[in-house]
Amino acid sequence: MGLGELLGTYGQNYLDGLLATWSMTAVSFVFVMVLAVLVTVARVSPVAPLRGLGELYVQVFRNIPGVALLILVAYALPQLRLVLPWRTCVIVTVVLLGSAFGSENFMSGINTIGAGQIEAARSIGLTFTQILRHIVIPQALRTTVLPMTNLLIAVMLTTALGSQVPMTPQELTGVVSYVNTRATGGILAFLVSALGYVLTAFVISLVGNRLDKRVRILR
Amino acid sequence: MAQESTTDKNVPVIELRHVDKHYGDLHVLRDVSLSVARGEVLVVIGPSGSGKSTMCRTINRLETIDSGEILIEGEPLPQEGRELARMRSELGMVFQQFNLFAHKTILENVTLGPREVLGQSKEEAEKYAMELLERVGVASQANKVPAQLSGGQQQRAAIARSLAMRPKAMMFDEPTSALDPEMINEVLDVMVELARGGMTMVVVTHEMNFARRVADRVVFMADGQIVEEGAPDEFFDHPKTQRARDFLDSIKGH
Amino acid sequence: MSARTQSAPSVRAALYEAPGPRTKRLIAVGTVLSALVVAALVAAVVRQFYVTGQLAPRYWSFLLEWPTWRFLLQGFVGTVEVALTAGAIALVLGLALMLGRTSGPRPVSAACRLVTDFFRGVPSLLLIYFFFLVVPQYGIRMPAFWMLTLPVALAASGVLAEVFRAGVNAVPKGQVEAAYSIGLSRWKTMRLIVLPQAVRYVIPSLIAQLVVVVKDTTVAYVVSYPDLMQNARVLITNYDALLSMYLVVSVVYVLINFAINKASVYVAHRTGVKIIR
Repeated sequence: MGLGELLGTYGQNYLDGLLATWSMTAVSFVFVMVLAVLVTVARVSPVAPLRGLGELYVQVFRNIPGVALLILVAYALPQLRLVLPWRTCVIVTVVLLGSAFGSENFMSGINTIGAGQIEAARSIGLTFTQILRHIVIPQALRTTVLPMTNLLIAVMLTTALGSQVPMTPQELTGVVSYVNTRATGGILAFLVSALGYVLTAFVISLVGNRLDKRVRILR
Repeated sequence: MAQESTTDKNVPVIELRHVDKHYGDLHVLRDVSLSVARGEVLVVIGPSGSGKSTMCRTINRLETIDSGEILIEGEPLPQEGRELARMRSELGMVFQQFNLFAHKTILENVTLGPREVLGQSKEEAEKYAMELLERVGVASQANKVPAQLSGGQQQRAAIARSLAMRPKAMMFDEPTSALDPEMINEVLDVMVELARGGMTMVVVTHEMNFARRVADRVVFMADGQIVEEGAPDEFFDHPKTQRARDFLDSIKGH
Repeated sequence: MSARTQSAPSVRAALYEAPGPRTKRLIAVGTVLSALVVAALVAAVVRQFYVTGQLAPRYWSFLLEWPTWRFLLQGFVGTVEVALTAGAIALVLGLALMLGRTSGPRPVSAACRLVTDFFRGVPSLLLIYFFFLVVPQYGIRMPAFWMLTLPVALAASGVLAEVFRAGVNAVPKGQVEAAYSIGLSRWKTMRLIVLPQAVRYVIPSLIAQLVVVVKDTTVAYVVSYPDLMQNARVLITNYDALLSMYLVVSVVYVLINFAINKASVYVAHRTGVKIIR
């Protein structure tokens, strides 16, 4: 099958797939960031049970395979009478996985600040919330631009889990399996989707690198 | 900052009474009592591990104490909250590692406290900040970030950051120990200047010439205790205790 | 060592200073409250298991039988075989890609960079579909083992190439200059001076990457290869115990990967190397 024929027949599927990948990535990443902040707050809090819960969360979702988690969310939760739409299942899975890594990024961002600056801020009379607002959060955000860029790409790649559930519209990976079970799409059928991922990743890291150069903190 | 002007001239600015502190099994401060009068320059010396830095850091509660009392102008040091933050804002602290805020320019470093804690306007804070940066000789670096400055410049900027709060007293925790030799004097000069201007100072240092030249009183600490204290000439020329003699001999060897 | 460095706190410790009496009370109240909330959450989950009948013995009793675990163990062996083979291939390929990129002539360098970015930029699932659905269209018959192992290896090789490159960059520039100045060629400098050190730097990261490989192997069911996950699926159809089986298998994977991560940190700690990500 040539490129023309492939795109003529399945072009719409690929386009829908690309948009589905993009939109799931965007939605997931927003929730990833929100949850990563909450988990990080729990992990640095002086309240022991919260800290423990935060650590457990990160260890579990950093280490569980995406497929296993998706199956739990999509097929095991209904046994507990908790049925979510397929697309939501995928997003929930991606968010749980991504936020664990996002929190790890924030933690190392916080750790690069160093205790000395916090003591200095305390010494000029800043309160706890002022220290967070003026010293800790701005620096943690600015030092995590590159890791978070990589996380955004990872989140996009993880949305490929969508190919494991009957989602409509399918995302880019699901489209490849769809096309190839109906026709012999050959290597082209695979390359079109692959390019969708690779080019998006390229743009994301280009923007991430630019942003990082602008906000990077000299040390 | 508006402060009760009724404070008695004779009340020490800083007073430690029978302060004890442990790190686990280690007894780092043993029954330390000390008072610093208004305008006095107190230099604390002693071998490393003697507790002198720890003592300095207890004064604005960067380190907590196990027992004893710390009074600032006769008032007990608050233990937490806004009261503690306010008290800290009235005590300057200069660190060995400078600890400038890495993401802010030198000017922003100096104006952050006045704007956030004292509620000054940007213009007001910047005007005074530039005056101070001029005084410590880094005004031309005001718009750079800390990493672009030499260690000596960073430490002088850190001193300006503390001065911007118009503190009642300044603590210096080994302010020149992390500096290359050629930069030590530029920082010491600023400190001499401050002392001449009547600032109340507690200086933990290994710079014996500075101590001899500037100190009103020298305190010698070892093993968490104040072993000896006195006027600098008396202390350096006629130390009373064997510990102090040994220490002074050991640093002469350099 | 001064008393000060002994107290040099982590940022977490520095963020919250030693609490005063009021703060201590607050933390105590917060501790009790949050413990209650956690307990309530656990109770709610258990209750949901109970009311949906998921706590019934028939869902769990088969987990107490040896044949169940023997079968899972067989699957685990399958997982290990794929993971180690894929890991080994990725190691060689990743190293080759890095060397090609950093020391090859310009066209080779560009090609290696392209390949590296490609494998890092596509999901491993997509690569698996390539070997499962596309390759057979060209008349190539592959055993399930390789349909799984090759894509997992390719995905990992892109990442490993970057890990190796970070390791090479971590070798001080002065050593390369010193090697050149005693007359070593570019290639000899790489082989004798840079690589041995770079490899030492990245060993903890390589171990950590094994986690990603293990995770990627779990889609073995796509190609019907009997790994841990696939065997669990077989058991599920036998015992009709979906929730319990998947939960147990997930916990097993988490523990395996947790152990790998711990090993990586341990090695990093022992060799005094920072983990390069």
